[in-house]
Amino acid sequence: MKDFEPNIIGFLCNWCSYAGADLAGTSRIQYPPNMKVIRVMCSGRVNPIFVINALQQGADGVLIGGCHPGDCHYERGNYLARRRFAILKKLLEYTGIDPRRVRMTWVSAAEGKKFAEVVKEVTDDVKKLGPMQHFKRENKW
Amino acid sequence: MVNENQLREAVKNTVSRDDVKYVIGYKKGTYGFQVTPAFAFDSKDADELIFSPLCTNNLAVYPMLEEKLPLRRGEEEDTRKIGLIVKGCDSRAIVQIIQEKGLKREDVVLIGVPCTGVIDPKKINAKFPHQTKTVDVKEDGEKFVITIDGKTNKISKDELIFEKCKHCEHPNPVLCDILIGEEIKSTKKEDYNDVKTFEKKSLKEKWDFWEKQFEKCIRCYACRNACPMCYCKECMVDQLSPQWVRRSVNLSENTAWNLMRAFHLAGRCIGCGECERACPMDIPLTKLNKMIEMEIKEMFDYTPGLDAEEKPLLAMFKPDDPEEFIL
Amino acid sequence: MDKFVLQKDTLPKFISEMISKYQVFAPVENGDFALFKQIKKPSEVNLKFSNSKVPPKALLFEQTETLFKFTPGTKGKIDQADIPDGKTVVFGIRPCDAKSLTILDHVFKDEYEDPYYLTKRKNTVLVGLSCTQPDVNCFCTSFDDGPASAENVDILLTDIGDKYYVEVKSDKGKQLTKNMNKLFTSANDKDGKKKKEVEKKATDIITRSTKTDGIVDKLDKIFDNPFWKNIAIKCLGCGTCTYLCPTCHCFDIQDETTMTKGARIRVWDSCMRSEYTLQASGYNPRPTRMNRVRNRVYHKYNYYPKNYDIIACVGCGRCIDNCPVNIDIIDVVTEAREVKA
Repeated sequence: MKDFEPNIIGFLCNWCSYAGADLAGTSRIQYPPNMKVIRVMCSGRVNPIFVINALQQGADGVLIGGCHPGDCHYERGNYLARRRFAILKKLLEYTGIDPRRVRMTWVSAAEGKKFAEVVKEVTDDVKKLGPMQHFKRENKW
Repeated sequence: MVNENQLREAVKNTVSRDDVKYVIGYKKGTYGFQVTPAFAFDSKDADELIFSPLCTNNLAVYPMLEEKLPLRRGEEEDTRKIGLIVKGCDSRAIVQIIQEKGLKREDVVLIGVPCTGVIDPKKINAKFPHQTKTVDVKEDGEKFVITIDGKTNKISKDELIFEKCKHCEHPNPVLCDILIGEEIKSTKKEDYNDVKTFEKKSLKEKWDFWEKQFEKCIRCYACRNACPMCYCKECMVDQLSPQWVRRSVNLSENTAWNLMRAFHLAGRCIGCGECERACPMDIPLTKLNKMIEMEIKEMFDYTPGLDAEEKPLLAMFKPDDPEEFIL
Repeated sequence: MDKFVLQKDTLPKFISEMISKYQVFAPVENGDFALFKQIKKPSEVNLKFSNSKVPPKALLFEQTETLFKFTPGTKGKIDQADIPDGKTVVFGIRPCDAKSLTILDHVFKDEYEDPYYLTKRKNTVLVGLSCTQPDVNCFCTSFDDGPASAENVDILLTDIGDKYYVEVKSDKGKQLTKNMNKLFTSANDKDGKKKKEVEKKATDIITRSTKTDGIVDKLDKIFDNPFWKNIAIKCLGCGTCTYLCPTCHCFDIQDETTMTKGARIRVWDSCMRSEYTLQASGYNPRPTRMNRVRNRVYHKYNYYPKNYDIIACVGCGRCIDNCPVNIDIIDVVTEAREVKA
């Protein structure tokens, strides 16, 4: 789809993936500008309602970034998020929403390059899928 | 076939205990095939209790519905127990609530009833519409004997019971203090065929199906209130700061509500089907919950409502949880 | 009142005529039940159901209604919402639901005129359809009403075999049938008699009933009676009864916004919810289900009659049909009459 620039929301955990995104920036690594980042303290803070709200309000894709298993600043938040997210992905797919729109990734604070690659991959995937129309808020008033 | 006299005796014994407030069971409804929850406070009330294949309600919803008002000065909290008549699925709900520490095991006295399946009110009303008079339903092997106004009809069980009952793997209560009758040996298996067939559809077909269903939703929240596992003091849809799900009724908000309720029941839904029975718009809610039940069994080897000592699904993790979807 | 006869095979033409001049809402099949939806062709109409699942109050008192719009900031402004004022016909409305609109009129007209409801009410013509097969829980006869009453509609159709007996009651009804002379023929006495027979047959099918005379005074005496606790202890507080009731009218007002604009909307609410009377301090004057169930019965059978001289229940039976725990208003009222004051 030409000229379609997807809107992607990224929930990045403060200690690992946000720092990794920071590193990608200071290292001047180029990556698509479509992701809008929301910093959360831990990926375990991400409630599935955030993902659904994002899709309702115009996001075409959502990325959740957390620490590698075992490295969570709060010991286990990323493990809990991993379980939640596994279920959420199945639920969205069962309802007819393409699972490639909502992704999860482990990016550590030293992996600036990986972060840029992840964003590029997610943006490319969502670009191919097109705009998310299914249950967007219409705000018809 | 449950011996109603034995049931009433058990209830009488329970309700006359000093440490039991009341016992919740079933009694005859006000018309046709209706059966209604009955609260027995003394032996006289216990005489009205029945148990028949029409007893579909999940009584496990009531212990959490009890309002605990602020105590007056000098008043002591009433810590007596609640007695409940439970079928297999109902007892799983109680076990799951105990697992989550919503109730303590000592708070309830469970009178267990083995169950081979209960009748779907939609199916029996379609077969015998417009019933106001006395009706009676009894089990007879693989058939139900339905007596209306003196005339009897024999219908096979398969035609009348809920779909969920046809795949029930827990006909006997998993936890109970008194068991009425003998345990049933059942060969029914949950094979999730319905879910697997639906999963094979294309994404577009799936969304088209659910779009039609969610557009019907009138957000009455009957599903939430009928569910024994929905006992949050403040439901997420009632939160105003921040407001996650708007109160307007349209496809977007209805989808958010139904998906989030299904998610909040992940690892907790025991498949009693009350949500679907209570829904006035006939939305197939158990379809969503059954899919999650199948996935958590596969991915995490977890079945809700069986072990009160286990840790709840989303409160724990294993280091080797599946993560092939993670970038 | 003008009386005509409409042949059954001319009914689709009648509906098409209405569609060409009005927005027509009629019962449409939706799985196992009917809903009032806008139709574009006569073939979409399904008159076989005894009543729709959601009452037609939803067409005049919409579940989500925009009150006004606004934009934020120092240059922000507030705009009146566009209230749809197109000419509308509700076709196939049953006498009980039509009566419920007359009951709702008091709420939206007497002390303060609600433009959102009244604009639609003014522009809506009710073409009623008498019931020939009342359902199990219909009890409109308990309120001096009947399955073929023409009291609250503009036009009433009654199925008398191979034709419909048409009673045109009001000016709105006359206006609708003004240029449709070729569709109708004059009714004769035989048709009138047949209508009365059909009406009697339908009334006889209704078996459940309760007596409502003196209920207002009796309820005054038994407010603190423990019998309410027994009724309400099995209530789940689900709200199904309130959403499907044709006379329930509680609503909530919310603001919905994006970063650049917003609107104030009115949505249906339910008095059965625990947070219905929850105050900001945390105190709740109706903390238990007993308080709320009792309040609902009193609102319909005591407070409303005291204010507006009419019981706010039409006997449609939807609450009884759909209650998951079989709380039965017929039973409640009958027991209330018999309880010792």
